[in-house]
Amino acid sequence: MSLPQILFLVVGVITLGAAVAVVTSRNVLHSAFLLALTFFGVAVLYVLLDTPYLAAAQVLVYIGAISVLIIFAIMLSRKVAAPDLVQRNSQWLLSLIVAVLLFGVLAYLTLQTAWPAAKQALGVDAIGGLGEAFVGTYALPFEVVSVVLLVALVGAIIIARER
Amino acid sequence: MNLIGLLSPELILLATGLLVLILDMAFHGKEGRREWLPFVAIAGLIVFLIAASFLWGTHTSLLSDMMAVDSFALFFKVVAGLSTLLVILASWDYFQGKTPYEGEFYGLLVLAALAITLAAASTDLIMVYLSMEFLSIGSYILVGYLREDPKSNEGAIKYFLYGAVASGIMLYGMSLVYGVTGTTNLAQIAQVFAAGKLTGDMLWLMLPALIMLLAGFGFKIALVPFHQWSPDAYEGAPTPVTAFLSVGPKAAGFAILMRVFLAAFPAFQLDWAAVLAAISMITMTLGNVVALKQTNIKRMLAYSSIAHAGYILIGFASVALDSPSLFNGVNGVLLYLLGYLFSNVGVFVAVIAFENATGSNQIPDYAGLIKRSPWLAGTLFVLLLSLTGIPATAGFLGKFFVFAAAINVQFYVLALVGIVNAAIAAFYYLNVARYMFFVPSQEESHVAIAPALAVALGIATFATLLIGLYPQPFIEFANQSVRLLGVF
Amino acid sequence: MQVLDDLWIRIAVWFRGLLESFLPPWAVQLTMDVLGILLLIVLGIVVVLAFTYMERKVIARVGDRIGPNRAGPFGIFQAIADAIKMLTKEDVTPTNADRWLFLAAPIVVIIPAVLLYAVLPLGRGMVGVDLNIAVVFVVAMGGIPILTMLMAGWASNNKYALLGAFRTVAQLISYEVPMVVALLTVVLLAGTMSTVGIVEAQASFPFALVTPVAFVVYMLAGLAELNRTPFDLLEADSEIVAGYFIEYSGMKFAMFFLAEYINLFMVAGMITTLFLAGWQWPILPSWLWFLIKVVLVIFLMMWIRATFPRFRIDQMLGFAWKALVPLSLINLFLVALVAKVLEPGWVRTGVLFVSNLALLAGAIAIMAQVARKREERARAAGEAAIKRYYGSEVR
Repeated sequence: MSLPQILFLVVGVITLGAAVAVVTSRNVLHSAFLLALTFFGVAVLYVLLDTPYLAAAQVLVYIGAISVLIIFAIMLSRKVAAPDLVQRNSQWLLSLIVAVLLFGVLAYLTLQTAWPAAKQALGVDAIGGLGEAFVGTYALPFEVVSVVLLVALVGAIIIARER
Repeated sequence: MNLIGLLSPELILLATGLLVLILDMAFHGKEGRREWLPFVAIAGLIVFLIAASFLWGTHTSLLSDMMAVDSFALFFKVVAGLSTLLVILASWDYFQGKTPYEGEFYGLLVLAALAITLAAASTDLIMVYLSMEFLSIGSYILVGYLREDPKSNEGAIKYFLYGAVASGIMLYGMSLVYGVTGTTNLAQIAQVFAAGKLTGDMLWLMLPALIMLLAGFGFKIALVPFHQWSPDAYEGAPTPVTAFLSVGPKAAGFAILMRVFLAAFPAFQLDWAAVLAAISMITMTLGNVVALKQTNIKRMLAYSSIAHAGYILIGFASVALDSPSLFNGVNGVLLYLLGYLFSNVGVFVAVIAFENATGSNQIPDYAGLIKRSPWLAGTLFVLLLSLTGIPATAGFLGKFFVFAAAINVQFYVLALVGIVNAAIAAFYYLNVARYMFFVPSQEESHVAIAPALAVALGIATFATLLIGLYPQPFIEFANQSVRLLGVF
Repeated sequence: MQVLDDLWIRIAVWFRGLLESFLPPWAVQLTMDVLGILLLIVLGIVVVLAFTYMERKVIARVGDRIGPNRAGPFGIFQAIADAIKMLTKEDVTPTNADRWLFLAAPIVVIIPAVLLYAVLPLGRGMVGVDLNIAVVFVVAMGGIPILTMLMAGWASNNKYALLGAFRTVAQLISYEVPMVVALLTVVLLAGTMSTVGIVEAQASFPFALVTPVAFVVYMLAGLAELNRTPFDLLEADSEIVAGYFIEYSGMKFAMFFLAEYINLFMVAGMITTLFLAGWQWPILPSWLWFLIKVVLVIFLMMWIRATFPRFRIDQMLGFAWKALVPLSLINLFLVALVAKVLEPGWVRTGVLFVSNLALLAGAIAIMAQVARKREERARAAGEAAIKRYYGSEVR
């Protein structure tokens, strides 16, 4: 086993362990912080896969923004003080079955397929290509995203602003 | 024509939406001036429709094949523009005192119309996803617009949770498609399948992928397994928004469904046509049967619009673009959408007028409406007849075309189920008419209609009758609009 | 001179040669990597010791005091004495604290601070990794401290700590926006996101001269990201005692302290790299130039700390969103436009410099105007209130 493989195993175990802990922890705030750890593990996996930009974007977006938002929202809600939060309801068995089935189907599909798209290897300077794609081929979606974000911002103010 | 010219309808909508938002901010604290905002929005929409009409007959693709300019997209531009126009007229007095953000409403509505036009023109999975998300986010906000109303909140949160899951699943399906074909462009996906280089395993993968895509599209259209959000969202939303939701996003969903399936997956038509036929039958039956029991007219219309989605889907399930027959399925869908647009928005305008005057949405409260406001009762009756599908109305023309398409491809069961359902639907539509005309009421006061609503109601009723009585130009319009870029 | 310039690299090469004489190649690589990492950490600690001493001295002199003067000549061992005191103090965990998070916060806080050193070019050819997305990396790592502050603030089970944590989110997220836009301006001018590339792009003109607006914005946002006066609301002693690390003592407190000063060095290093031409400039060895510039920037920050009062929270957020964000965005458009039209050289630098100064002057004028109007309104309201009150009394 080579060094990257050992690293991959270690990081993978930490990431999955944290992910499991997210859904089993009885303290909702611990879940949120463990979620951040899971995101970080995924970012490290991206590094191991030689995609540093994805890793940085993962940290920036998922830890810097989404995790912080989740934690902030939890802290502002009333139930923070209740450490024994029950994470299950009466439908947990049903959702477990659905989740396992979905995972099974997707895992089977992933393993069975040759994935022709994966053969288009990323260049070393992927970041330059990414930038050019944003203002070249994908200029229209890029611009549409800005309008979508504007609408979301306006909507957030309408829905959440104090009167 | 250059890029700016080809994009001009979209750019005009964007400019109008932003202008309304900015003017609303500039007019802050100057109450009198804010009443001009709907005029700005309407003017923008009219300019948009005019700009769009210049693109008639143009067939090209733009910006690295991200979107198409074709008759099909043009048709949905017209649908988006007209429905938004009518909804703006219908919401003229509605928000007075209900929300301090009246100006933003018109801005968001215009931007939602932009989302519909983008959705109908998208020829790349990334654009398809983005425009659907654009439309969804706008719709969530519009549904939850009345923040003090718990029902509006409930509807918005249900819509949002459903939408988030549906678009997640759709995205997963898109990633499978990309993984197999290595491209997100619809035409290129079709080429990969046509080249026949893919082996059995990977073709088999397309079944779950298509079902996942269908979940996302079906959510927007409110097809049956993905419809649970719609009654609550329709009931809770401000009524003009309900009117918009029942037409705009539905049309966008159909546009995307047809373009993606026709442009990218013609190789799998046998599979998806069968699935869509089954979904269509379930959808209309469930929608109609549940609508029978409703007493709230908005909820009834919600289920009825589910049923209509089922009828419309008949047309697409029986698509036969290369058939020599007049009824190729897609033109039926377009005709149906056009008629449904006017009839359904018209009915909602009548509901809004009644709600503004009485504050009620219960069907029994419509008793004796013929005496309280003969005009309202009369127009509502005509529009309900159109929704039922009585000849000489727009609704009949659409139903005729989709049923004929089903018969054309020998989907006799599908046509039969459709016809039976139309008969069931007549019960609850005419039930409203029964209350209006034959049940006496204690209330005798006159129901006043605001001028803007009267205009909207007039346009809707006139268009419904015009399409029903003089259908030739509209049939021609729909036939021309079947021309999808790269398909037909 | 050349010898001095390459001093550290020569030492590294010599040491590698020494190791290669008796170790297999993979072990050499491993040893060098581990040593490099250790060196960066040691550098961090040395930096903390040096800058705490410097900070106390500078602030004392500005306040017309002498500052530490007992431990050793000029009190230079004061920092070491403090460090020993801190490490030997009792380690207290509050009774109802969230034990795991309370322990994790001081550990996690140090990680991004140290990781950032990897992309800082300390001299010619002296950089941990020349990442082609170094700038994105810096921004990404800058987001993690928010998480740790929330962690510490919540786990302490203390209202002041929680208040400090809440302020953190508002402040750090707000100031990240102008900071990133200012960064973007630099990336636009340099045409690369690698820190080494950005330094090399400043061979003829440092970017502080090319775009002073971005420099000022980045400097202010950097102060805010560091929680330094006038933006030290997270740990405002007179309001919330010490903010999110109020309950920490001993070694754990030392970790926060360490992270804070490492970050200070890091932000000053980034300002030097992005705007002051990094290790460039003639005569002196490159690493010495870098150090001099960093110390100057830090001195400036200390000077600001010693002379400016603290902002109120609404003023601070308003300043970020209503002043810095629009200013940096306008500047970005301006720079993009000019950089597209003109070729690099004297003309472009001149045009950008003058237009930037004009922009800055305009922004200050508008802010002064707004402030004056607001003050007038407040005074009028106050006078009206007084009149109302006494007027009714008199009658």
